[in-house]
Amino acid sequence: MTNYHFGRGRARLAPYLLLLPGFLFYVIIMLGPSVATSVYSFTDASGIKGAAVHWVGLQNYREFLFMGQASLDNYAALVRTLIFCFCVTTIQFTLGLVLALLVNQRLRGVNIFRTIFFMPVILGAVIQGLIWSLFLYPLGGPLASLLGMFGIHSEFLGGQPAEAMAWVIVVQIWANLGTTMMIFIAGLQTIPGELYEVVRIDGANGWQTFKNVTWPLLTSSVNTNLLLNIIGSLQAWQLFLVLLGYRNGTQVLGYLIFAQGFGQTSGSVTSAFRQGYAASASIVLFFLVLIIGLPTQYLLRRREERILG
Amino acid sequence: MYKRSSVFIGVMVVLALLLAACGGSAAPAPSSSGGATAAPAAQAPAAGEKVTLKVLIHQNPPMVDFMNKFNEQFQAKYPNITVDMSVVNANDLSTVTQTRLTANDVDVIDMFGFSNAAQPYMKNVTAPNWQTLIDAGLLMDLSDQPFIKNYDASAIKDAGTYNGKVYQINLGRVSYSGVYYNKDLFEKNNVKVPTTWSELVAACETFKKANIACMTAGGKDGWPIFVGAYGLLGAVYPDQAKLVEGLWTGGTKWNDAKSLDMWKKMKAYAQDMMEAGASGIAGDAAPGRFASGAVAMFPGGTWYGAAIDSAQPSFKWGYIPFPGGDNADDNKYLFGKYDQGWVVAGKTANKDAAMKYLTEFSEPANYQAFANAVGFIPTQPGAKLSTAIGQEVAPYLANFRVGYEQYWVAPKGAGQYANPYASYYKPFGTYDDAQTVADKVQADLQSGLDANK
Amino acid sequence: MSTIATSKAPDVSSRPTSRRISWGRIGAYALLLVFAVIYIGPLLMLVITSFKTLPEFMKSATALPTTINVRNFVEAWNKANFLRYMTNTLIYTVSATAIYVVTAVLVAFPISRGYVKGAGILLTLYVIALFLPVALIPQFQLMLSLGLYNNPIGYIMLFLVNPIGVVILVNYIKTLPLELDEAAAMDGCGYFRFVISIIFPLISPAIATIAVLHAIGIWNELILPTIYLTSKDYYPITRGMIVFQGVYGSNWPTLAAAVLIMTLPMLVLFLVLQRYIVSGLTSGAVKG
Repeated sequence: MTNYHFGRGRARLAPYLLLLPGFLFYVIIMLGPSVATSVYSFTDASGIKGAAVHWVGLQNYREFLFMGQASLDNYAALVRTLIFCFCVTTIQFTLGLVLALLVNQRLRGVNIFRTIFFMPVILGAVIQGLIWSLFLYPLGGPLASLLGMFGIHSEFLGGQPAEAMAWVIVVQIWANLGTTMMIFIAGLQTIPGELYEVVRIDGANGWQTFKNVTWPLLTSSVNTNLLLNIIGSLQAWQLFLVLLGYRNGTQVLGYLIFAQGFGQTSGSVTSAFRQGYAASASIVLFFLVLIIGLPTQYLLRRREERILG
Repeated sequence: MYKRSSVFIGVMVVLALLLAACGGSAAPAPSSSGGATAAPAAQAPAAGEKVTLKVLIHQNPPMVDFMNKFNEQFQAKYPNITVDMSVVNANDLSTVTQTRLTANDVDVIDMFGFSNAAQPYMKNVTAPNWQTLIDAGLLMDLSDQPFIKNYDASAIKDAGTYNGKVYQINLGRVSYSGVYYNKDLFEKNNVKVPTTWSELVAACETFKKANIACMTAGGKDGWPIFVGAYGLLGAVYPDQAKLVEGLWTGGTKWNDAKSLDMWKKMKAYAQDMMEAGASGIAGDAAPGRFASGAVAMFPGGTWYGAAIDSAQPSFKWGYIPFPGGDNADDNKYLFGKYDQGWVVAGKTANKDAAMKYLTEFSEPANYQAFANAVGFIPTQPGAKLSTAIGQEVAPYLANFRVGYEQYWVAPKGAGQYANPYASYYKPFGTYDDAQTVADKVQADLQSGLDANK
Repeated sequence: MSTIATSKAPDVSSRPTSRRISWGRIGAYALLLVFAVIYIGPLLMLVITSFKTLPEFMKSATALPTTINVRNFVEAWNKANFLRYMTNTLIYTVSATAIYVVTAVLVAFPISRGYVKGAGILLTLYVIALFLPVALIPQFQLMLSLGLYNNPIGYIMLFLVNPIGVVILVNYIKTLPLELDEAAAMDGCGYFRFVISIIFPLISPAIATIAVLHAIGIWNELILPTIYLTSKDYYPITRGMIVFQGVYGSNWPTLAAAVLIMTLPMLVLFLVLQRYIVSGLTSGAVKG
């Protein structure tokens, strides 16, 4: 703490006082309710004021993880979540980088392209869902007509679970690529032009330039994007809701938790309130994301320190 | 000095931002936005103080339209009462009911008929949400209200009573095991309205040969595919309460010979009868698809009748029970459920206004208008569903039965396939073989039953 | 890849590489065009649909509308109180984003610099927050007991935290040289003034990024307004859409028209702001 330059004594309190509002918001709005969720997960709470709540220990967890075929279905959802996360992260990351490099050039009209690619981000999940439901409309929608010319028929989102999942991956990437691209552009803009000048004079080719200048100096954006993509795709549920709804063989954990919490497990609106059980499922997801996210964050950090010193 | 004041200024700026933000948005006053509140106090001195009655309903286009008209009429009669009605998606209704009741921010709520109660033979199941709400004291006991008498005693008992007290007035039944047919297409292709499964199969063959899609359904929402095939389930198991008991106690299996017959028919239904692309049609868009005249039949609920008419008023259609059995006598039942009803918040501060609202709604004339608008099979003895769909279902009303999904509560631990859904088959699902589906469904159910032994 | 990096060089018109660059340009344009088609295609479908009648759509989804049918738009406009909802959304988005950005910088800066004790623990807390589950019901019960239910202030409060922003800022601030702080302190600049007048402009690229992401999240939020704002006067535009859907169900042509009306202001706003966002991203760059 010796490196603080802005005075001593009471002036030393300035950073604390100014940090306080933000931190308090964090504790009250985010941390508090999340801690409450973890408490909920050990009860049979219905989430209704005045309803009896009993302490049930690990029963919710036992049901979610070890009870009958339902728990096996949950594991299948977990595997699906990981596949979804892997596909989305790798593709979105790569395409985002390529697009950022493309539109970061001094080409005529790149601004238009930049806007086009960012447009879906502005729209939000519901409208994204509507747009793609229309585009993938199997009764003579655009893609159905196109494939129809080659004699191929598909139900797209309503068809085989694997195909439906694939389409959600496509839409998820389509919808969020703009963000990844923007973060990469922000990173690219901070790379000084003189550096490129220097390596060009040294006679480096395009790939060498990318490898030795662009990529290392982009580390911060790379890390941000990787983390955002991994976490975002692990927790994704909105597109599953608007594109697929509750369908066997397509649920991911994020959607499963939403469906549980909202009592939408079988398309029936008369199911029971089981906030305690839903809470246990969300705690399981929390640990999953933590197990994948924290080491990733640690490794990325190490890499950043190694490269940027 | 300077540094300290900078801290102070910093905190103030944050606070000012907060206040500015909040003040700005808090400006619109929450009162009088309806436009129908044009009753000056001087004109209605005895009408009592002004109250705002908060009503919550779910998305159902004809219902919303009707309610808007009804609210205007109600406000004209009681100028001191303003009705503030919110509409939420059907999927969000249960959560919003829960939060708004908890916040005591609602007076009258549209709730589905009480169903899915735990039965003595069920082990370790959670009470349905309406029971939880009543037990928590969040719904009002309506037993002594005079308007209760306007309704069928059986409807009040079956769909609105818990522990001997009335908490809901149910507004009507719907049937979902029927099938709409396009009269013109049937005539043009010389097809007789089917009364048995084999006639239905033959009819579909004829239409397919004429290059006409046989059936459509709102497959995008998932459940309409199931509902469409309901007649198949009903033909095999006419007593559905007994079916549920049998499944729980092991007397009935999803893969026994009787069920297997149903699964075979469901395969034909999903693969040969349903049009390709049905999975892309949203549940409430399906009537429009049928009314466009492109398909011969549309298995679905009675509530679609109004939508078909409004999509294409000149369109001619009929409605019959889905002929799922080989014997015409097995196909005379209509299965369905108690649909929407009204409940009142247990802690409402506007009990008087709420009771006036329900009394007014229960007036036979108003109720009749409601039943016509939404197409429910009435639960008031004097009311008659005089619309086209009403006339179509009239011959079968004596054979109305409450359906499986109203009784079924899955055992905890049961897999996601433990239901009789036709959508497991390709192209909607992954399965292609009836025996495999039957075994999988039974295994998923058995797993839950075993886990609760 | 080679073309990309090469053409990134500031002086692209220099002679020796010009032939390769022009090929690269064609390739780059081709690739961009392919992506543009993938991006615009679905959006175009929305526009075409919005001009159709429902029976037209049901007969053929892709055929161009026979007549330009503006009735959908008129109907959509008349049905929902767009102006009011739009104003509400703007108020929520702008105020929550402003407060969020200021508080996030004030949290991130001392953490990044180690100016508060336990900075490492604080950062860990924020990183863990990235993984926290959505706690819908407990959060609801909290807001209710604070008396902030069905209250714009309470609704705005829900959007004052976004841990990813803090993490991005902490990383970004680390790239600023420490000498900056020393020099400023030497000149007698106070902590708060330093953060506001020196750090803020320097990190504007990062601020632009987190502000845009956060604002979009608020703009499109769907579940929270359904639960927290029950008075019609407080509805944001997304809640208005449900009201709208409530009346029309899945009448796709009318729905498409409503969606277009709703997104149009947003698109215009973005097109206007886009310049600033991008220039903000560039001009704030720390050189050397």
